[in-house]
Amino acid sequence: MTTPLIRFADVSKVYHLESGDFTALDHISLEIMDNEFVAIMGPSGSGKSTMMNQLGILDVPTAGELFIAERNVASLTALERTHMRRDTIGYIFQKFYLIPLLSAYENVEYPLILKYKKRDESGKAADVLKSVGFDEAMSAHRPNQLSGGQQQRVAIARALVNDPKILLCDEPTGNLDRKTGFQIMDILCGLHREGKTVILVTHDPKIAEYADRIITLEDGRITA
Amino acid sequence: MKDIFFDLSVRSVRLNFMRSLLASIGIVIGVVAISSMGMLGTNMQLQVKDQLSSGADTIVITADAVRMGPPGSSSTTSTSAATGITKTQLNKIKLAAGPSSTLVPIYSTSTQFTLASVPGRSTVYGINPDDITKFLTIANGTNIGGVNDALVGSTFATNFNLKIGNRIRIGKDTDASRPVLRIVGILAPRGMSSDNVNTDNAIIVSDDWYTNQYGGKDIYRQVNVIVKNIDTIPDIESVIDAKLNTNKKSPEVRISDASSRLSSITSSLSSITTFILAIGGISLLVAATSIFNVMMMSVNERIQEIGILLSIGTEKGEVRRMFLYEAVILGILGAGVGGIGSLIIGYSVVSYMIGTTKYFFLPASFMYIPIGMVIGLVVCILSGLYPAWKASNMDPIDALRAE
Repeated sequence: MTTPLIRFADVSKVYHLESGDFTALDHISLEIMDNEFVAIMGPSGSGKSTMMNQLGILDVPTAGELFIAERNVASLTALERTHMRRDTIGYIFQKFYLIPLLSAYENVEYPLILKYKKRDESGKAADVLKSVGFDEAMSAHRPNQLSGGQQQRVAIARALVNDPKILLCDEPTGNLDRKTGFQIMDILCGLHREGKTVILVTHDPKIAEYADRIITLEDGRITA
Repeated sequence: MKDIFFDLSVRSVRLNFMRSLLASIGIVIGVVAISSMGMLGTNMQLQVKDQLSSGADTIVITADAVRMGPPGSSSTTSTSAATGITKTQLNKIKLAAGPSSTLVPIYSTSTQFTLASVPGRSTVYGINPDDITKFLTIANGTNIGGVNDALVGSTFATNFNLKIGNRIRIGKDTDASRPVLRIVGILAPRGMSSDNVNTDNAIIVSDDWYTNQYGGKDIYRQVNVIVKNIDTIPDIESVIDAKLNTNKKSPEVRISDASSRLSSITSSLSSITTFILAIGGISLLVAATSIFNVMMMSVNERIQEIGILLSIGTEKGEVRRMFLYEAVILGILGAGVGGIGSLIIGYSVVSYMIGTTKYFFLPASFMYIPIGMVIGLVVCILSGLYPAWKASNMDPIDALRAE
């Protein structure tokens, strides 16, 4: 049996609030294999975002262990976590979160610069932008000059450019109209077929249907 | 290779151009204040040093007791009581100084006079006409020849619009005898001279005329010993001291030279310079606060952007670098413009306040421009440290959530 790419081992996440402790993830155990397409569903406050933060290595569990690409997240140094975010994970947000001061092209080039500490001369950024169907003529535009669909394509290209194993998609179609949303889903499906592990958070059952497996969260627990 | 973080900083500065400009202006003002104040002080010191060192070959000997008021101002009766260098002391000095030195005994007092029915007051020096040219320069006219001849200083001549041949009536309206002096020469400007003989605003008469008018013959206000070789000054001074000040508890004469006066004057001038530099420093402190404020605003406005950068794998150090670059850009802008401003404003201030800019480009003065610029830049970077640290240590999840 192959090792899972992601393994939650009895993971809990508790937030200490003034109003008392809040358990966002409650003893989650879950395995996600390489090249799976998983949708995470659940009502607001069910722990979807917390789970995505754990997967995105933006946060560490309060209890239990989370292994990503065979590494225990909690045992990594801050710098190692930063490098994993850069190299192993591609994060796609609902609000796109492009860097407003950079052009579309530079937004895609940015993770390459982070990794190789120099400007991209290989043409990879341009290739990836093209592969997600982004109009080359728009490369020099700033994010605020692009439509939602165009911004999300740039965001996907940015997530892909360092060739990560895992694509984390947090409501990637939430800010798009239906038609554009399906176009974006087609791109994600294509990436899945090319070998990426895609993890998708969504409210929309139609979107969740694209996935091989649907995980439903409620009150921090997996219910289905 | 261009650093993308530098690019981001440049763009951020450009995006908030007005705000960045205003913060930079603070630095500009600070740099200009420090540089021009420093240069002003230094130019002042250099000028004074220059003027004082023109009399570097002169030892000045005065009576140690302080004379109580000018003897000739009200009546001539008090002169006999006035202290000064006596004939006996003068002879001792002559002996001590040796044949190679030149002695110039000088009488002086303050006097009232009338010039074309306009009353005035000035210092009058009584000097043997043969001695006058040994340390003073006659710019116009001739030396004193006749009994009633006089020389005047350059400022004096300019102020009263005097020409050779004009006459001055000495003394108050109420005085019984009001002799008239004829101006035969005008002295070259002497500035603030090291030997305390400030002739620019004074009248110079012959020693005979002086003692006739004011009495006090052979009691000199001071004796200037002009030495041949300035290296012998300490030796000559110690011989004079040994010969005249036999009673150490109450010395007869006070001996001073340009270097001792120079050091006391320059030390007080340098404390003035330090003080005005401190004032300039305060303006930099204000500038630092405004840079800090702008940097904090920049960080607070870009919280979400910082969240994005951190969440997609930007190292903390890289975020820190981005904000420090921003501080450096503001600093370079401010220091650069401040440097140019210092050159212009410093030059104007020095030329207006000191009257000459011949010391302006000397290293001791000019160095205040780079020093001011570096201080401005350092202040900027220091002000940017905390905001940069704050930005790099944000929690990416919280930062992303910020709107």
